[in-house]
Amino acid sequence: MVSLLRNQKVRNALLQVLYVGSLAGMVLACVMIARRNLAEQGITSGFDFLFKSTGWDVNFSLLPATANDPYWWYFLIGIVNTLFLGSTGLILATIVGTIVGLARTSSNELARLLGRTYVDIFRNIPLILQVFFWYAVITHLPTPRAAHEAFGILLSSRGLYVPIPNVGGVAFAAAAIALIAAIALPVWLGRTSRLNQPVGERLGIQLTGAAAALACAVVILAVGRLPDLALLDFPALQGLNIKGGLRIPPEFSALAVAIAIYGGSYIAEIVRGGFKAVGKGQMEAAQSLGLSPWRVFTLVRLPLALRAMLPILANQYVWLMKATTMGIAVGFTDFFMIVALTINHSGQTLEAIGILMAGFLAINLSLAAVFNRINKAIALKGNQLRG
Amino acid sequence: MNSTLPSGPAVRIEGLDKYYGSFHALRKINLSVERGEKIVICGPSGSGKSTLIRCVNRLEQHNGGRITVLGTELNDDVGNIDGIRREVGMVFQHFNLFPHMTVLENCMIAPMIVRKRPRAEAETTARRFLEKVRIPEQAMKFPGQLSGGQQQRVAIARALCMQPQIMLFDEPTSALDPEMIAEVLDVMVTLASEGMTMICVTHEMGFARRAADRVIFMDGGEIVEQAPPEEFFTSSRNERTRQFLSQVLGH
Ligand SMILES: Nc1ncnc2c1ncn2[C@@H]1O[C@H](COP(=O)(O)OP(=O)(O)OP(=O)(O)O)[C@@H](O)[C@H]1O
Ligand SMILES: [Mg+2]
Repeated sequence: MVSLLRNQKVRNALLQVLYVGSLAGMVLACVMIARRNLAEQGITSGFDFLFKSTGWDVNFSLLPATANDPYWWYFLIGIVNTLFLGSTGLILATIVGTIVGLARTSSNELARLLGRTYVDIFRNIPLILQVFFWYAVITHLPTPRAAHEAFGILLSSRGLYVPIPNVGGVAFAAAAIALIAAIALPVWLGRTSRLNQPVGERLGIQLTGAAAALACAVVILAVGRLPDLALLDFPALQGLNIKGGLRIPPEFSALAVAIAIYGGSYIAEIVRGGFKAVGKGQMEAAQSLGLSPWRVFTLVRLPLALRAMLPILANQYVWLMKATTMGIAVGFTDFFMIVALTINHSGQTLEAIGILMAGFLAINLSLAAVFNRINKAIALKGNQLRG
Repeated sequence: MNSTLPSGPAVRIEGLDKYYGSFHALRKINLSVERGEKIVICGPSGSGKSTLIRCVNRLEQHNGGRITVLGTELNDDVGNIDGIRREVGMVFQHFNLFPHMTVLENCMIAPMIVRKRPRAEAETTARRFLEKVRIPEQAMKFPGQLSGGQQQRVAIARALCMQPQIMLFDEPTSALDPEMIAEVLDVMVTLASEGMTMICVTHEMGFARRAADRVIFMDGGEIVEQAPPEEFFTSSRNERTRQFLSQVLGH
């Protein structure tokens, strides 16, 4: 018995059992206490409320929404809004972070100074203050009647209005995928390991690939087009307000900008660290082989830097995803705010919070899982310390 | 291959000066390396050996004097630099393989991109040189999965795949365990016997005896002495050289 307890595997297993057991016990106790308290207050627990209509409106939704819709549909709206805000924020933050991070590693002294100043300022102001700041800036833009206009996009204190194509949802998604393919295909074909052609003679093949994907996108849009409407729905001033197009409310813009700028300052540090981690030796070897500075960057420096950055970047993304819950501070109906409103209106606190936690857990675990897969796939093989 | 080239020395260095800030790392170096000649450079740590050979392929920029490689002068002309780097291979102390590419890809990437060779041809060449450095069976492995000696031989093959006319070696065996040094030196000796122009920074005096045409001793950023190996080892006149030799030869 004693010798069994000294076995490392047995010990670990026992600790696990103890840990999970006590956790389960705690959860069970909480649930039982809560049920008794709720019963005393006359609130029925359970998830029946999901199918009742909400009776209140949301200010922004990518999915169709009316006050008659049931709660479960509203939760879905909340999740889609959170994902939309999160992905917009993450993409923008990555772009900002890459630019600032590269500036910080550049050989140009002014660029380095600007990059450092940026990071020092925006990393040290709490996100919530930045959200309020951008919200104030955006809501002080001109009124719709004096909106700024460029390329059919209108910017006013009521929000950002962008043209949208009058096509069905499925066709829209398919066209978007085709457009992404049009960019990704030439890059993929350009990878040295793909084709037998010398790298310099691939331009034709790459362009053909891009053109084919673009043609697909055009065909999909033409087929999926809604009848009797112009292909693009442009926003325009009608009376005192702007009609048509997709309205992106100031709440969303403020959050997206704040997450981009704040997140960008963290990502810049990750990018800088990643590039610093690339050994000078590998780049010198690439130079000595006669590779051009651009090739040294794309074939050696960037791939190695990405591998150093990705694990930390994944954490940062998960963290920024959680930061979308700041939406409630300015009234953007993200998942968190929908849950808060649900609690106010239905009183189903525990259930709603349970759904909130499960939802965020699912989003962040999937994000982490995707990044883990990528990390595994590109991890350097073997022992890297040797040389 | 060599017949189409302009005549003259492979590398000619005249009055070369190199500063790191205010530190004078190379002082008025004069050195001419003939085609097919094998040079061994030795000298105490910090004497400027690495700096000198790194100037030859412009990994370091010189501040004075002239460097002419295969008839092309190394100056700010990017075309000249690219042209020279294509013809000058380099092997580093720490191998510096690309860890995210297989051994084969390490050897194929530059021929495909710089020399614009088709993939199939680049692969044939790569396999031929991996055979030559005696590790054809490691082609699909990654550098991190090889021993130090194997990695260094891949690094030599990678440089050879560009089919350079000059090879630079910067202490190729100093990061290796003793039992791996021989396998790398063997490859270098073979290369030397095939007539490659080689400039090797190394303290392997055995290699210098077997392969070098000339041994150069550097100290304090200057070439102190140069002579054929036998003469260099037996009848060196210079005090500093003799002191250094007694240290590396261990008596
Ligand atoms: N990037 C640099 N910046 C400043 N000083 C440098 C730099 N590189 C080299 N030096 C200095 O120049 C001198 C010559 O360096 P170098 O690396 O050429 O020496 P070495 O003979 O190769 O020595 P070792 O045998 O240790 O490799 C040294 O004093 C070194 O400190
Ligand atoms: Mg050195």
